[in-house]
Amino acid sequence: MKTPVNKEYVNPVGKSVPRIDGRGKVTGQTKYAFDLSFPNMLIGKMLRSPHPHARIISMDTSKAEKLPGVRAVITAQDTYNIKFGSNEYFFPHTVDQMAIESEKVRYVGDELGAVAAVDEETALEALKLIDVQYEILPAVFETQEAMKPGAPQIHEALNNIAVILPVNFGNPDRALKEADYIREDRFYAPAAHHAAMETHVGVGQWEMFSDKITLWSSSQAPFKCREALAKTLKMDLNSVRVIKMPVGGGFGGKLEMLPMDFAACLLSKKAGGLPVKICYNREEEFLASRRKHGMIYKLRSGVKKDGTLVAITGEVIADGGAYCSYGPTVMAAAIMRIFMVYKIQHFRITGYRVYTNTPISGAMRGFGGVQAGFAIESHMDMLAEGIGMDPVEFRLKNITTPNMVTVNQMKLTTNGLRECIEKAVEASGWKNKRGKQQNLCRGIGIGIAADVMGSKMYKSHESAGSIVKVEEDGSVYLFTGAADTGQGSDTALSQIAAHELGVSFSRIKCKSGDTEITPFDTGSFASRVTFISGNATLCAARDAKRQILEIVAQERNLAPDALDIVAEQVVRKAEGSVLMNFDKALELCYSFNYGRQIIGRGSYNPKTTPIDFRTGEGNVSGSYGFEAQIAEVEVNKETGDVKLLKMWDAHDIGKAINPQSVEGQIEGSLTMGIGYTFLENLHFDNKGRPANGNFTAYRLPRTVGAPPVETILVETDDPDGPFGAKGMGEASLLPTSAAIANAIYDAIGVRLKELPFTPDKIIRALKEKEQLLTAKAGL
Amino acid sequence: MIALNINQKLYEVDLKGHETLLEVLRHYLGLTGTKTACEEAECGACAVIIDGKAVLSCIILASNCEGKKITTIEGLADGDELHPIQKSFLDAGAVQCGFCIPGMIMSSKALLDKNSEPSREEMEYALDGNICRCGGYLKIFEAVRQAGKVLKVQGRSSKHEDAR
Repeated sequence: MKTPVNKEYVNPVGKSVPRIDGRGKVTGQTKYAFDLSFPNMLIGKMLRSPHPHARIISMDTSKAEKLPGVRAVITAQDTYNIKFGSNEYFFPHTVDQMAIESEKVRYVGDELGAVAAVDEETALEALKLIDVQYEILPAVFETQEAMKPGAPQIHEALNNIAVILPVNFGNPDRALKEADYIREDRFYAPAAHHAAMETHVGVGQWEMFSDKITLWSSSQAPFKCREALAKTLKMDLNSVRVIKMPVGGGFGGKLEMLPMDFAACLLSKKAGGLPVKICYNREEEFLASRRKHGMIYKLRSGVKKDGTLVAITGEVIADGGAYCSYGPTVMAAAIMRIFMVYKIQHFRITGYRVYTNTPISGAMRGFGGVQAGFAIESHMDMLAEGIGMDPVEFRLKNITTPNMVTVNQMKLTTNGLRECIEKAVEASGWKNKRGKQQNLCRGIGIGIAADVMGSKMYKSHESAGSIVKVEEDGSVYLFTGAADTGQGSDTALSQIAAHELGVSFSRIKCKSGDTEITPFDTGSFASRVTFISGNATLCAARDAKRQILEIVAQERNLAPDALDIVAEQVVRKAEGSVLMNFDKALELCYSFNYGRQIIGRGSYNPKTTPIDFRTGEGNVSGSYGFEAQIAEVEVNKETGDVKLLKMWDAHDIGKAINPQSVEGQIEGSLTMGIGYTFLENLHFDNKGRPANGNFTAYRLPRTVGAPPVETILVETDDPDGPFGAKGMGEASLLPTSAAIANAIYDAIGVRLKELPFTPDKIIRALKEKEQLLTAKAGL
Repeated sequence: MIALNINQKLYEVDLKGHETLLEVLRHYLGLTGTKTACEEAECGACAVIIDGKAVLSCIILASNCEGKKITTIEGLADGDELHPIQKSFLDAGAVQCGFCIPGMIMSSKALLDKNSEPSREEMEYALDGNICRCGGYLKIFEAVRQAGKVLKVQGRSSKHEDAR
């Protein structure tokens, strides 16, 4: 049977075709790792430390092993005690976590063993029967305490500072002497949690005797998970298969292998190869996955009267929790993102990534840029105010431009930042609103941001591979290592494949993120997939097309280069005349005479250079995306409530492969930013445990109060992007907190420097302002 | 042994003790379309419809559901044909990771069955118990609006919802 073709979906790039995985999701048929079940499957549970900091003296698992229904118990003795981490390439000394800790535990929740049993109740019962003797050590929960000499030593690092990262360019001290206005501010952006709807899930199965393992996972970077499993289990890469199931949200939280993934595999081995499922509950998710770094961000900068930004200096202290994870590069990104946004020659910010006995900080959507965005974009507004300049004018004067090289050697090519600002300003009615609605307690504020498309943060190369296989019946299979976590990459990549191959999107099927079947891909992070995996897919589709055209050309005695496939037809390029339709061309390929399989392959590695952390120089991304966001608010001075009247978001995305999906990313990302601005604040109790680690206490944005959002897509047609596209998805939450802070200032004249903006903080700030005014009047 | 009427089929279930409806759906009957993200009635991912009302299946005991009409996400489509709400969620781009979507669709259905033209405020309150972490809520509101129009034309709102 020939594959039915939906003619509406020819030339799909730029069209809002429905998601390729949509029907399964709206009917409840999609199977997430969460939904998996196999015959004789065991349930695994992790043994966690109840102490924030302790030495393990002894462990006795004999009682647990004897409990009926228990099939396996593991401790560090069953492992090779190999450490894993995520900044191995740049900061090898920060590889500091063991899948199962053998000597010491460093936060409440740290893993020191695991059990597998026939059901959850038995597994939980078995955990209680494991006798662990600890020597309790003093613990420390705040970065500033942890950095003091004599503080409890969590790892080897001096003063618990895992990484000190000074980023210096030019001569900021001399430059500041030429400034007409200098100001210093301190901001605080708290820890937060990804709170993906699906928790972490892994189902491990060891094939006995062949020594092969399979992990069905909720990972957003299956190849990276494979690498960490292979390393810690001492196996070769091809003996480990990670199958990424449809993922119920990741946001950076599912970038790394967790001890639970490791344990699911090892428990399966010990249980004779029975599959073992470990599924986090919500509290474990908050406790023992990854979280966002809380950051203290201090800035001291100077400007000239004409608005020229002369120097930025400062300090960042990032609360890393018990292990490093992606922390050092998250902190680096929090410092260095500014170079993509503002032209600056004189710069000095030093970052301190500090251990505390709290849950582990790692990557979270925005990768340090959310905390930095809040600090920098608030600070910029205050600098503008100091010289009496409109914040939009101030930004337009200082922003980066197309085709420039930044002070740290980032090569910006297309750059739609100016257009983003101008369009957002116009759409929002900025000029008629800014500073003119205080009588209504209304205000408007702006924030801007930039983002990378890939980051070279994982390893030296950042390649992606794709395979496009065209079958006899006209169906097309796209194999990509990229991981769709809900952002829609399977759909966007399929659109790219279909468009380049010259066929309808309806022909495409997509298999993504299976390390045994699909080509290598570093994963879904750093807004990289559309750009990098998209380019690989473009190459693969082009390769498949060339193979088809060679056969058609041979049959018709023509040159392959003279032919193309456009909208389901093989055409002569010059005349545009139709030679045959796509199905006929395939009949030829798979005919008696030719019998040629059509398998296109593509590989793409962006033309970038990793950051050299000794100098801070490097061009981490093959393209850069830009963003301007405006918020309009109304503040109730009595209650401290802030109503978001509307938000505008103008985004340079190069080219929208699927405009509806791009809008969905912007709206979702911005909503996450709103949550961080008003609600989300993961804080810790006196043992360093999440004090609000469940959905009752950790408040997330809900339907009530969701503001209208106007998205403006700025298409700058990037020469290196597939069909001109850049990556996107993260930038839209970077400026949100500052845009809102700046709008609140415009409305009621108070400046909030600590997130989240709860009503009591607003009331307090209003009172302080009142007292200050009274005092002044008194003088 | 109890008998549950789910999606117009009768299922006989041997309960061990105090299983929730969610556990029975997912673990005993393999109806894994109904999700959970919190198991404490905060996220809405486990919403099903019982006798016309959206109910959180994680906090209702299966034994209390005997004799009631239960509809889950698996019961909406008519063969290959999607229910108008399912179709509108796809068309409006309201689906990203999809984990919240079954619950979101069931809560939307409970709303639209009674009121095919809900105001924005009515939508906000009807869906306030359902968390979506991926997409914000604007495209979901749009999907509910679009579906309401179709259901009204088809006469499937308020009175005529016995078919499914």
